[in-house]
Amino acid sequence: MEEKTAIIFDIGRFRNTDGPGIRTIIFFKGCPLRCRWCSNPFGLELHPQLAVNPAKCTGCGKCVEVCPHGVNAITPGEKVRVDFAACQTCGTCTAACPGGARAISGRAYTARQLYQEAAKDAAFYRKGGGGVTLSGGEVLLQYEVAAETLRLCRTNYLNTCIETSAYAPWDHLWQVAQYCHTVFVDLKHMDNTQHQAMTGVGNGVILDNISRLCRELPRRGGKVIVRMPLIPGYNDDDEAVAAGARFVAELDGAPELNLLPYHNLGESKYEMIGAAYTLPGLESRKRRDPRLLAIQALCQQLAPRNRVSLGGDAIDLG
Amino acid sequence: MTTPTAGAALGNQLRAGTVAKVGSTKRIQELNGMLHSNRPNVDITRARAYTKVYKATEGMPSLMRRYKASAEVYRTLTDNVYDYEQLVGWPTKRIRGANFAIELHAHWLAEDLPNLRDRTYDPFEITDEDYKELEEELLPYWKDKTMAVQWGHYVSKEEWNRGQFGGVSDVSNYLCANGSHFIPAWTDVIQHGFVKYYEKAKALLAALDPNDPESIDKRIFYNGIIEVLEAIRDWGERLSAACARKAQQEKDPVRKKELEDMAAMMQRVPWGPATSFHDACETAWAVCFFLFVEGAGPSITWGRFDQYMYPYYKADIEKGILTPEKAMELIEELYVRVTSNVWFQSTQMAYIFGGYYRYPHLDVGGLDENGKDASNELSYLCLRAMRYAKTTSPAVSLLLHQKTPDSLLYEACELAAEGMGHPSFFNCEGLYSMLEHRASGPEAYSNYTRKDILKFGSPIGCVEPGAEGLQYGHTDSGIINVAGAALMAVTNGVMPRESDNMFAGKLLTFESGDPASFATFDQFYAAVKAQIKYAIEEAHANLLVCEKLLAEQFNLPTFTVLLEGALEKAKDATAGGAKVNVGPTMNMCGFGTMVDSVAAIKKVVYQDHAATLPQVRDACMENFRGYEDLRVKLQAAPKYGNDDDFADDIAADLWEWFAQCTMRLKMYRGHYCDAAVQMVQSNVGYGAMTGATPNGRLAGMPLSDTMSATQQADTHGPTAAARSYGKLDFPVYTNGTLLNMWISQSELMEKQ
Repeated sequence: MEEKTAIIFDIGRFRNTDGPGIRTIIFFKGCPLRCRWCSNPFGLELHPQLAVNPAKCTGCGKCVEVCPHGVNAITPGEKVRVDFAACQTCGTCTAACPGGARAISGRAYTARQLYQEAAKDAAFYRKGGGGVTLSGGEVLLQYEVAAETLRLCRTNYLNTCIETSAYAPWDHLWQVAQYCHTVFVDLKHMDNTQHQAMTGVGNGVILDNISRLCRELPRRGGKVIVRMPLIPGYNDDDEAVAAGARFVAELDGAPELNLLPYHNLGESKYEMIGAAYTLPGLESRKRRDPRLLAIQALCQQLAPRNRVSLGGDAIDLG
Repeated sequence: MTTPTAGAALGNQLRAGTVAKVGSTKRIQELNGMLHSNRPNVDITRARAYTKVYKATEGMPSLMRRYKASAEVYRTLTDNVYDYEQLVGWPTKRIRGANFAIELHAHWLAEDLPNLRDRTYDPFEITDEDYKELEEELLPYWKDKTMAVQWGHYVSKEEWNRGQFGGVSDVSNYLCANGSHFIPAWTDVIQHGFVKYYEKAKALLAALDPNDPESIDKRIFYNGIIEVLEAIRDWGERLSAACARKAQQEKDPVRKKELEDMAAMMQRVPWGPATSFHDACETAWAVCFFLFVEGAGPSITWGRFDQYMYPYYKADIEKGILTPEKAMELIEELYVRVTSNVWFQSTQMAYIFGGYYRYPHLDVGGLDENGKDASNELSYLCLRAMRYAKTTSPAVSLLLHQKTPDSLLYEACELAAEGMGHPSFFNCEGLYSMLEHRASGPEAYSNYTRKDILKFGSPIGCVEPGAEGLQYGHTDSGIINVAGAALMAVTNGVMPRESDNMFAGKLLTFESGDPASFATFDQFYAAVKAQIKYAIEEAHANLLVCEKLLAEQFNLPTFTVLLEGALEKAKDATAGGAKVNVGPTMNMCGFGTMVDSVAAIKKVVYQDHAATLPQVRDACMENFRGYEDLRVKLQAAPKYGNDDDFADDIAADLWEWFAQCTMRLKMYRGHYCDAAVQMVQSNVGYGAMTGATPNGRLAGMPLSDTMSATQQADTHGPTAAARSYGKLDFPVYTNGTLLNMWISQSELMEKQ
């Protein structure tokens, strides 16, 4: 019987975020949400995609010659133009590009292969309690391979984490989360209508899942960290923040609330896959921004039992 | 935008001249300022002394002349004493001077003297009077007597050129760097002073039996050693007098007292035993620069400084005459002073090793002779002193082992975070294993005992394993550009026309076979191995001649007295006086470029059949002009440094091959040759001389650095690269291995 595979768009080694120690982060492709600030657009579509880095394109025209589907076009002296919709992701152009400007984003892996990738750095995880984090896209979209990957990692003594939107049926979430030391779950907006407008989906399932996860996971020794991405002008007003903090304050087990400052590092990735960023020109927020510190103080006031941390690397690693 | 690290920012400020006065105290700040306000300059004191003695001793035995010349150098060294200093004595009349070895450099300097002040790499200042004396008197006497010239009498013109300008099997680094890579018997000389060796030499001389034929040469040896040691004693007297004179003129009572103390100190050391931490620092300084003046090469090494200095530190603290802060100030002054020793190199070598850096080295940590953690307060102070002094020298290193305290490791990481390239980290396990097999050939153990290794073992210069007072030998020298050798297997021994090389378009090594005749990868691979072996053996044959010349004519009395047992043997360091003789060694350059080249050919030619080997040859010959598609394919092949066995298996096999070819070769003094990967920065110079390589690298571009992956080829992060490196057998490189890993600051965690 053929093993199930998942489409993965990146495997990052020697990362030091999203969990303790040195980590390998596996990025699952495909996401049911369309958050307007998404910094990983390669993770939106489930299927493999052509990605072109315009900074590396020299306009040599090699890809125009080799493409069997006539996807690429060139005007002398300019960079190549790509009809992404017509691309069949055959990969012919990626092998021919002298500047290394082209790649196919997305490759199928079995759970066993993903475990093997993660286990390569086992020697480096040991000292700092490092391990593997499954991220995305939305890892729960391919929950079967994700769960099996984490089971293999967990039974081989690697630390396991996931980052998720929690937008999935409970039993999909639980199949994956049960193997986790830590689950990072996003809380984007407490208002259902706003949530729908910003992410394309409602927040009912998400809020139910977070509540239930906070009840169930600690019983298995796992920990939940609720993350609030703070997008200027979208969900960082006092009212929205306060609603989120109150929700977190009432969760079982007093999970840590981790506030994530907005960054625009994902912006340039959109054009690589022929898409457009919906928040152009929005500046990244500095960690010591007074507004962010005020939000942190507000949250701490409303959720006095919970640890409130600011910045992805400020989480409690213990 | 990332902000530059503190070290990098400071480096830019130093170069711009906007700041130089750094250090933990006003004294160190002023001394650092004095150091950096001087440009590297030439001192002709040593050249003048050598010329005077050699002209006056024509016809005398070679060893006698050489020892007399060394003694004359000590008699004529400057007695300058500057404000703020607590340690005494300088190797040159001006700070940052080079008291260079004219008997090794005259042949090229006679031609290149007019360019010395403004050559591209390592220019040197020189006064008009000194310039004139060099040009008219000193260089004419020496220019046809240097080692490089004499070597030319033994080899053909072609071999002479290939060894210096061919860039594949290179021995030029050995020709002008006699007297180098040495950890003197620090514990002994600090504890007893030079007087011990003086008395020993006198006793051994008195005990000679004139009816024993061996006594003939021994008598000359002992008389020579005694003359040199008397000159060292007199130097101390002169410097003591200079301090006393300065004390008399000094108005400030505090400084006056300091100068009087320094005058008293110079009556005690380095001639006699050190009685305090301050004394011990003076001996450590004086011996270091004596060796840098007598020897022409790099890497006079302080070795296990925190071990042999600790008894003095501890006693002074207990007596209440020293504080940790005062001790650190003295260490900082040592750092400033040793940085003043610039390396004087030929124009050709400056092109490869430019930067004046003379590779002094100081270690902390490690194990003691019983295998326990050896660290003490001085280990921390030595690391911390560098965070204040911020000098390029010495290379401060941590000898790391399973028992290293976390706090010492953190102290070292704090220094690493300054971004200045300090400290180096050495794995004791690898170091000790290398010493166990040092210079012993493929099937034996070295002369070192376990106690020798644990107590005295430490790296020399860059990374070469050595032991205090027990080992002598120039530990670099033969430089084998293996990327070039692999290219020669593709081009049938010819350096591509498109290269900045004296042999461009000509046969440089040997004909290992027409590439069209290699039907299988194994046939091609055999040619690669044959080219590597050929380059090693050619360098070896040339170095043997140089070794003989050194032993016969270029002796080193100060090195010799600081070797345990050399006086008893009455053998100069150059002639095998040490307990363990090492070098010259074979140093591999361009390892990653070679591995990637072979892997690219295996993939593209023999696996994918996407090109033929003659096409790859033509592409390299034309520097890939017209072969852009082929270059893309070669570049896309698996690369060393990504935890990919396709490339890493080739790496492990050629790594072993290079060592095996080297280790079976016997050297002039009877020991075996050692393999090494250590030549920092030489990858740029040799890359400039090497044509395009089959990994897609263009002609003239740098080769891969040390044993690291090719630049930008390790695309899977530092952990994957580390796993690649971990597949190699390090200890088989008994002259050391060096890995440079660059990790972006943003990849590191913030301090919590």
